[in-house]
Amino acid sequence: MEITIGDTLFTLHPSGAIFWPDQKMVMIADVHLGKISHFRKFGSAIPQKAIETNFNRLSVVVSYFNPDKICFLGDLFHSTLNSEWGMFEAWVKNQSSTIILIKGNHDIISPSLFSKLGIQIERELLINQFLLTHHPEKRDGLFNFSGHIHPGIKIRGTGRQSLSLPCFYRQPNQLTLPAFGAFTGKFLVTPKNGDAIYAITEDEVIEI
Amino acid sequence: MNNNELFHIADSWFKNQAWKPFPFQKQVWRAYLQGKNGLLNAPTGSGKTYALWVPIVLDYIKNNPDYKCKPHKGVLAIWVTPLRALSVEIKNSTERFVDEIGVPLTVGIRTGDTSQKERAAQNRSLPNLLITTPESLQLLLASKGYDKKFRSLTSVVTDEWHELLGSKRGIQMELALSRIKSIAPNLRIWGISATIGNLDQAREVLLGTGSKAYENSVLIKAKIKKKITVKSIIPKKMEIFPWRGHLGLHLLEEVIPIINKSKTTLLFTNTRSQCEIWYQKILEKHPELAGEMAMHHGSINKKTRVWVENAIRDATLKAVVCTSSLDLGVDFAPVETIIQIGGPKGVARFIQRAGRSGHQPGKESVIYFLPTHAMELIEASALQQAVKAQKVEDRIPYLNSYDVLVQYLTTLAVSDGFYPEEIYQELITTFCYQSLTHDQFGWILNFITLGSQSLQAYDEFQKVEIEEDGRFKVNNRGVAMRHRLQIGTIVSDAVLTVKFLKGGYLGSIEEWFISKLKPGDVFTFAGRNLELFRIKNMQVLVKKSKQRASVVPSWMGGRMSLSSEMSQLLREELYAVAELLNDREEYALDKPDVLEKINAKPLSRELKSLMPIFKRQVKESIVPAQSQLLIETFKTREGYHNVFYPFEGRFVHEAMGSLLAYRISLLTPITFSIAFNDYGFELLSDQKLDMQQVLDNDLFSPQFLKSDLEKSLNATEMARRKFRDIAVIAGLVFTGYPNKLIKSKHLQSSSQLLFSVFKDYEPGNLLLQQAYTETFEHQLEEGRLQIALDRISSQDIIWKACTKPTPFSFPIITDRLREKLSSEKLADRIKRMLISLEKL
Repeated sequence: MEITIGDTLFTLHPSGAIFWPDQKMVMIADVHLGKISHFRKFGSAIPQKAIETNFNRLSVVVSYFNPDKICFLGDLFHSTLNSEWGMFEAWVKNQSSTIILIKGNHDIISPSLFSKLGIQIERELLINQFLLTHHPEKRDGLFNFSGHIHPGIKIRGTGRQSLSLPCFYRQPNQLTLPAFGAFTGKFLVTPKNGDAIYAITEDEVIEI
Repeated sequence: MNNNELFHIADSWFKNQAWKPFPFQKQVWRAYLQGKNGLLNAPTGSGKTYALWVPIVLDYIKNNPDYKCKPHKGVLAIWVTPLRALSVEIKNSTERFVDEIGVPLTVGIRTGDTSQKERAAQNRSLPNLLITTPESLQLLLASKGYDKKFRSLTSVVTDEWHELLGSKRGIQMELALSRIKSIAPNLRIWGISATIGNLDQAREVLLGTGSKAYENSVLIKAKIKKKITVKSIIPKKMEIFPWRGHLGLHLLEEVIPIINKSKTTLLFTNTRSQCEIWYQKILEKHPELAGEMAMHHGSINKKTRVWVENAIRDATLKAVVCTSSLDLGVDFAPVETIIQIGGPKGVARFIQRAGRSGHQPGKESVIYFLPTHAMELIEASALQQAVKAQKVEDRIPYLNSYDVLVQYLTTLAVSDGFYPEEIYQELITTFCYQSLTHDQFGWILNFITLGSQSLQAYDEFQKVEIEEDGRFKVNNRGVAMRHRLQIGTIVSDAVLTVKFLKGGYLGSIEEWFISKLKPGDVFTFAGRNLELFRIKNMQVLVKKSKQRASVVPSWMGGRMSLSSEMSQLLREELYAVAELLNDREEYALDKPDVLEKINAKPLSRELKSLMPIFKRQVKESIVPAQSQLLIETFKTREGYHNVFYPFEGRFVHEAMGSLLAYRISLLTPITFSIAFNDYGFELLSDQKLDMQQVLDNDLFSPQFLKSDLEKSLNATEMARRKFRDIAVIAGLVFTGYPNKLIKSKHLQSSSQLLFSVFKDYEPGNLLLQQAYTETFEHQLEEGRLQIALDRISSQDIIWKACTKPTPFSFPIITDRLREKLSSEKLADRIKRMLISLEKL
């Protein structure tokens, strides 16, 4: 699904990624790599197959958009170093795009390890009038892309039906991305007037 | 000493107390001294403690002729009670006996409340009689060298076995006993149970299916029958539309004279929120009761609860509003009257509560029934019959609970480690795991050692290790510590402690409730109106508030279902009414003399008082008779209501509702939300349902039941909820260190999320499958559903298209907790929801 912000065009992908055609850049928030291995290390037997899913999903998005740049909006790696780092290294080596990480609260792994892989680490990124951060921020005159809150939306209909889905959450000067990772929860948001919600279903993004 | 001489010791002690042993007590003594195992069926307050403690001591005397001078070392008997509160009472009784006959045996308690210091002392040397809980017993199995400590055991007594039987705590007992049997060669196993429908099975579960212990066992019944009088409080004015959730407060004034008339009255409510509200409202209307009234429920801080219990015993309270927290436990002699607010849903629970009053032998128990809505009067009428016939429910034991097994095996690995083949042989003699295959056992072993079924590269999974000699052992101290903190099978929601800003602990409250409040909001808790100041470090800090209006927390898990026995009795009551009403000639309700005629019928007072409601019900619909299943349809602003009345209890209705919704959705793309109560269920949709099509397609067929149920979305949602407990019990979710702000935040995750991950990536996982099995067997009560469908297939279906909601439908359609089922594509559903939103 395509949206415009100002007069800039963006594509919202059902995986939760955003593509920015002018910059040839993909933005992805909250992958939380390493979370499953971290749980396993502490005796909680989460299925290992879910680990592969994260990497498969990343590869699907990258091959679909074929971007020059991939920008992770924080919480790329959930925990301290563990075996998933090795898989991540392998994945990075296969990429031709430039990879940028905007540091999130979960990213506690030493920046030097990221640098070694050629990943650029930033506190935030300003491109034209667009500000890319991990935590949502409001700054005058800028439009902010962020992650961190894992937005989800609950929809109600007649017959007292309800559904909850991950979503892109757009406020007047802000757009928060859904969490990309396979083993992440969501936080239900309550949209105000003037907000927009783009919910994710299996193969479609639907504006609500 | 021979048995006669031994009995003489006991008899003369009884004589000194001016007591006479009951026949059942003597029966147990004899059986015990003959070396038998068994189950004693006796109610609370009947002297059951002495039925078993006496022969344990006599047996000790017999085997230790020099008992007077030489104190015994090590533990002789373990007494397991499900309720910590009972342990002091048991300790006092047992100590009294040994002290007075001069046997130097020590008695000690070990529960979650036992101090660290006392535990340490016990670890050096256990008391001769150890009174403990199933959880604490498991913790003993998690300590090093437990086998040496337990070798000297001569008996394990499980008190209130009926309470444990239908729960996973019961499995913990089965497992602990299977282990102890192998360790202690001279072990006798006994249980004490109140009356339940399946006493014989209860004995089998306790002793182990096909075990030697079971072969050498007896069932002894106390046969003490109590007279119970049930009196319904019937409202003077009958509402035609019986709303759900009225809490029964409109009958508050009727309760006051009852309270004033008796020494102490217990008012049982079904939920903690109802308890809070009733307490508040009585005090509001009758401030003169302040100081003489108290409240008791599971979320109130323990000190207060103990104070209340003592005050009841000392007869300093006129009335106590309580929940099932006072169902069990110590005898309260001063309690003369019980008031049950709202339907108790089960016969056993009702009789148990009635039995809390009039404890002295020969005295009758009086229980008042206060209906919260008019329909519950039918229940009251059914209860009268039930009490007469002593029709008590079964407690269904669990089978193949892999979660408890995972926990147990880890427990053994934490202490001294275990060898799988030895443990497997013990497991298959338990009731729960009698059909456990080698494959399943192997799966569990892989699960705790590899965290999956095959070894994979770069995996850091860490829990149980296999040592060189084949011993399964936990060597990581972190794993061991986290496991010990998590032993137990009672899983509660995340709870926060409620404290005054100035200090002073009030109790604990579920996180999901408090998270809905903002600072400054006022809520009612522990009988007070409190203003939320802030939430910090898992603590809710509050101030007293003078504001009167407030929110009352509702606690999850308060919803109970009618038992099948109750449902059956309920239907019989209705059939009696239907027979009357269907005879329209003679009993036309607008005839002037009809009330006299009805009064002459052998109907209960309760049913007679409901006549105005039945009258409104038959205006557009019917009261179904034995051969009929009633369906009503009507339209309101909320959509198209389709209401079905099988009268089978809410759990069966939940299942039947989703089953029918699923089958209908195969005929046409449609989305339902499903509501249900004990009388029937409703399928609500925004589209009109072609009911004739439903009837023509024989959708109530009992064929393909399981596969259809499984496919309904509902089963998945229910399994998701079941999985929450399973995940915690099996140690997949770490619930944190006690009273510590979770440092392990990276380890926290919702079990919801876990369920989705397992469902997507490891559908064959036994724990995941267990969630479904539990859903079908324990939640949906598949067996009962099958029987209900068979019954329906022999009934005529009566479909009434009504213009307005009927009295029967009202409690159902106003229910806000709903399930949903849809056969439409997600995107279509959203699009349609949006269209209808625009219309508004």
